[in-house]
Amino acid sequence: MTPTPSRVLTATSHWRPTAALGRALVVSGIALAVALVVGDPSLVVIAAPFVLLVALSLVHRPTREPRLDSHLDHVILHEGQGTTARLAMADVDEVEFVTRVAGRPPYVALRPSGGYVGRLLAEGVPDVEISPRRWGRRFLGEEYVALYTPWAGFRYGPIALGGQQVRVLPVTPPYDSRAEVPQPLGLVGAHRSRRPGSGTELAGIRTFQAGDRLRRINWRVSLRTGALHVVTTRAEEDTGVLLVVDALADHGPSDGIDGAASSLDLTVRAAAAIAEHHVRTGDRVALRVVGRGGEQVGYGAGARHLRMIQDRLSTIQVGEVAEGAGADDGVLRLGVTGGAVVIVMSPMLAESVGTVAATLTRRGVTVLVIDTLPPDARPPRLDGVEPGLVDLAWRMRRIERSVVLDRLAMLGCPVVAWRGPGTVDDVMRRLARRAQQPRVAVR
Amino acid sequence: MPLVAVLPTSQLLLRALVLLGPVVALLATGPAGHWPPWWVVVPVVGLAGAFAAVPDSPVGVGLFLVVLVWWTISLGDDIQPAAMVAAAALLVAHLAAQVASYGPATLPVELATLRLWGLRAVVLLATIPATWAAARLLRGQPEPAGVWILATAAAVAATVVATVALGDHREA
Repeated sequence: MTPTPSRVLTATSHWRPTAALGRALVVSGIALAVALVVGDPSLVVIAAPFVLLVALSLVHRPTREPRLDSHLDHVILHEGQGTTARLAMADVDEVEFVTRVAGRPPYVALRPSGGYVGRLLAEGVPDVEISPRRWGRRFLGEEYVALYTPWAGFRYGPIALGGQQVRVLPVTPPYDSRAEVPQPLGLVGAHRSRRPGSGTELAGIRTFQAGDRLRRINWRVSLRTGALHVVTTRAEEDTGVLLVVDALADHGPSDGIDGAASSLDLTVRAAAAIAEHHVRTGDRVALRVVGRGGEQVGYGAGARHLRMIQDRLSTIQVGEVAEGAGADDGVLRLGVTGGAVVIVMSPMLAESVGTVAATLTRRGVTVLVIDTLPPDARPPRLDGVEPGLVDLAWRMRRIERSVVLDRLAMLGCPVVAWRGPGTVDDVMRRLARRAQQPRVAVR
Repeated sequence: MPLVAVLPTSQLLLRALVLLGPVVALLATGPAGHWPPWWVVVPVVGLAGAFAAVPDSPVGVGLFLVVLVWWTISLGDDIQPAAMVAAAALLVAHLAAQVASYGPATLPVELATLRLWGLRAVVLLATIPATWAAARLLRGQPEPAGVWILATAAAVAATVVATVALGDHREA
């Protein structure tokens, strides 16, 4: 969570008599007047407590206008994390009671439940805790505030206090992979390379050559053979991982972090988890979002780079790619560099994504497709469209999708469904083994 | 979902008092031999229900005035102990509506708030037997000279004070 400097909005209103004061005033006044006119002492008895109540309320008539500010403790959060909306007040000596009613934007949980809280000021200013339940940009902290004088004779507000834009980063589900990447081809890293170097993984034992380090000499073999032998190891290098996120559409219902996940939820969370894993292992990670926003992050490593990727993921805009923005005649341009591993996270319902995965695979690029279509995804019901027709179209679309996935598998592009930790381990190992073998690439 | 189902317990309790108070005040004339007819009771119950649903609405004023009118026409200048019951019931309903309207219907009212208003209710309720006793003592006494002029002047002064107090307080 990232704390934020106080960004406050100051709202103004003015004191007004409450309905209760008006009611007490009218009842007591009329009761006394009628009692005097008709000589009914019962009405005086009934009016007496109301007269005292009115008097006490008027005695506490406020004279100063309070000033209210509101702010959130944090403006960058992960899904499921929470922050506190605090109310700062000045000139509230005459205030006895505070009521706060927080706005309820979608995918946001509030505490107290419903975002309604009222408290005597002597007990402290009530706070409202806010927890966004889904990644994205959310406008949080909007609320209405009302203040009351002692005996509730006068009310200030309710006044609207503005909220703040909060970036909700995708949560990174527990994810770890022990599989090596297929084509480590970079600088110093953690992956076993094909070429020899100064790593720790044994590559073989050969006779000593000029330039070999003395500490590499294997004395046991040297004594047995009568000639100096050295241990050779394989270099350990990092690799480039390009994450391709399909944001062309969002399929299935999304209930935030606590409920059902849509295709885009799975995509974004998978991308965040994989990015975090590879950044931690020292790899260079890039992001390319296929969607209306066309968000992208170049190759980089480190915690700041990971935060940048998470930021971009949280600002994804769903929709078709704009004309000329990374697409030529419907063919996507991803800017894949040599040696990079491309991980495509997509529900694979868009033709362009399947095409680009197939094209890259045929060019010899290591491509892995992570299928993020929820099993229970259904098209939304639209007014004026026959449900039977929608279901038929959806079934046809899924059949086409399965054909695309089969063809990708035939080309050698593995497709796995996202299931959290270990999703890509087996596939990565197979890709790594395949990368050791010579093959012909189509260019 | 019905509103009652989502109301917190404190609001349900307060609104029950808002509903029952005026009805009890109306029926309090019964023991004195003046039971209200059904065509009075039913509208009062209806108005009390509306008042309980929207405690900061003007319905409350109308409801209380109906009860006052019934008391005026039913008992006349007779002073009964039941007047204390009616006064207490109306006051409790009024205070319950006041606390219930601190916020939306789903705003839970904290125990400290209920405790404070309970104490205040006790203070206000204490005026009822005192007033009733004073009325009983002064009943039948000759009117002091100028009492009506004094009462009228007091009423006018109270009206002026209230008007000033309830006026627009925005600073220039």
